[in-house]
Amino acid sequence: MAFLVKLNIILNKVLTVTGGVFLLGMILLTCANIFIRQFSIPIRGTFELMGYAGAVVTAFALGYTQLTRGHICVDVLVNTYPIPLKRFISLVNHWVCAGFFFIAAWQVVKKAMILKNAGELSETLRIIYYPFTLAVALGCLVLALALLTDGLTLIFPQKAGAK
Amino acid sequence: MSLTLMGILGIFLLLLILFVFGIPVGFAMGLVGFVGFCVVISLDAGCNMLATVTWDTFSKYGLTVIPLFIFMGQVAFYSGVNEKLYTAAYTWVGHIRGGIAMATILACSAFAAICGSNAATAATMTTVALPQMNKYNYEPMLSTGAIACGSTLGVVIPPSVVLIIIGLSTEQSIAKLFYGGLGAGILLASLLTMTVYVLCTLHPSWGPVGKKTSFKEKILSLAGAVEMLILFLVVMMGLYFGLFTPTEAGAIGSFFAVVIALVQRSLSWEEFKRSVFDTLRISCMVIVIITGAMVFGRFLAITRIPFDIADWVVTLPFSKVTVMGIIFMIYIIGGAVMDALALLLITIPIFFPVAMELGYDPIWFGVTITIVTTLGAVTPPVGATTYVVGGMAKNVPLERVFKGVACFLPAYILCILLMMLFPKVVLFLPNLL
Repeated sequence: MAFLVKLNIILNKVLTVTGGVFLLGMILLTCANIFIRQFSIPIRGTFELMGYAGAVVTAFALGYTQLTRGHICVDVLVNTYPIPLKRFISLVNHWVCAGFFFIAAWQVVKKAMILKNAGELSETLRIIYYPFTLAVALGCLVLALALLTDGLTLIFPQKAGAK
Repeated sequence: MSLTLMGILGIFLLLLILFVFGIPVGFAMGLVGFVGFCVVISLDAGCNMLATVTWDTFSKYGLTVIPLFIFMGQVAFYSGVNEKLYTAAYTWVGHIRGGIAMATILACSAFAAICGSNAATAATMTTVALPQMNKYNYEPMLSTGAIACGSTLGVVIPPSVVLIIIGLSTEQSIAKLFYGGLGAGILLASLLTMTVYVLCTLHPSWGPVGKKTSFKEKILSLAGAVEMLILFLVVMMGLYFGLFTPTEAGAIGSFFAVVIALVQRSLSWEEFKRSVFDTLRISCMVIVIITGAMVFGRFLAITRIPFDIADWVVTLPFSKVTVMGIIFMIYIIGGAVMDALALLLITIPIFFPVAMELGYDPIWFGVTITIVTTLGAVTPPVGATTYVVGGMAKNVPLERVFKGVACFLPAYILCILLMMLFPKVVLFLPNLL
């Protein structure tokens, strides 16, 4: 259990920092494009690169947002339930959602493999872009893992002070 | 089972798992949409749709505008711009009766022009403005009500994530929605300020007069605050004159927000990191809801529910104003029990075709429902902004905060009525584009 929790934290830290770097890269790329096009032609493929970087930014923050309880839910009713029922419902929620995101990750991997096998290239830069699709799948997988771990933590609560 | 019935069942299932099981909104919409699609078409088609929608939404260029504007707001938030804005507004109008409450609303409007988050505005304005109002013996109902309601301007005055999402989900110009939001936001801010004036005229003890300041002090107070407002003007003017796209405006805004904060030495490395991580968290939350709404929207589209409802509503023996009134009531009730963004994404596929069928302007509709749903941010049982203010104003019981908010509700109602009677309030600026 402690291993899963630790794995989650490390994975999400790495992904979040990478997402942050991509975010700053997006800002710099767009500003550079605006600046350069005043004097010559715009940076080729900015539009495409922004889309791919945006995918990485969002996908790599999926697990972190779950760990920080950042996803919005309507808990008006749930907060009125007795604690055992609340825990049970929370467990079911976490595992159903984990299952859903495992399916999503698996399907996005399948899509990435189709793009790879078809030799699909981006329209302007003519580069392979399936790695970005795989990055989205990785984000979904890490979110599923975070949800699974959160569910397990409800059954096997971590001792206070445990790493 | 007919497709329409399947669609209705899907909507009920969504509401059930949202409210009874408390599953996060984006996950719930994605889950119900995916299962519904699999049931109506096939498992293979459902899996295919899930992968395609997830990839297409995550990598959509149009959505990259969201993290960029959020980052701009987070940098402004962590560099303490709102404190400077408040000081400037206080110096200018603090000597009028109720002036500090008016200054709070003006500072909220100015900060909303950069930030776009209700909760962030409410949290910092409570910290900055409430001690000042307590010092001058302001009635706590007035002071907390002004902060909570002033903070709602964050989603109306551009750049607003809610307006961006309405633009993307209805395929309307984000720039036009921003300019529509600007007109509506100025109207609402004026009405909230007038409410303070009326309350302080009726109850002079609620808002005692603050200290008078010289013209020199007024001018000096603008230092530190005016730079960010110039940045807002640059962003809006760039959009207005077509110099850059909304995404580029977000990038320019973010870049110069960081530059201004660095020049002013108001953003530490730690605060910079926090603004990046908060941006990732908030953007991810928003884009997950959008992705869920897209999946759910695909399911609704194959059941043809939105179009059936639009066709049905048009045949109802009511005037179009009555139908719009009913829609607004649904938004007010919905906004009171769930987050505005989630509510809009769930309901727009249903109500937008209805509004179009009734002949309303799409920009007007988008801006007006934004104002209507902001009411939900201050009314119980959810009223997130009011809870933020109530939680931070330790010496003011929550029911007093809600009573304070209730004093400002007529301003919202009047604003919505004026927007219905005079659509030009919203459409004047967008029509110039």
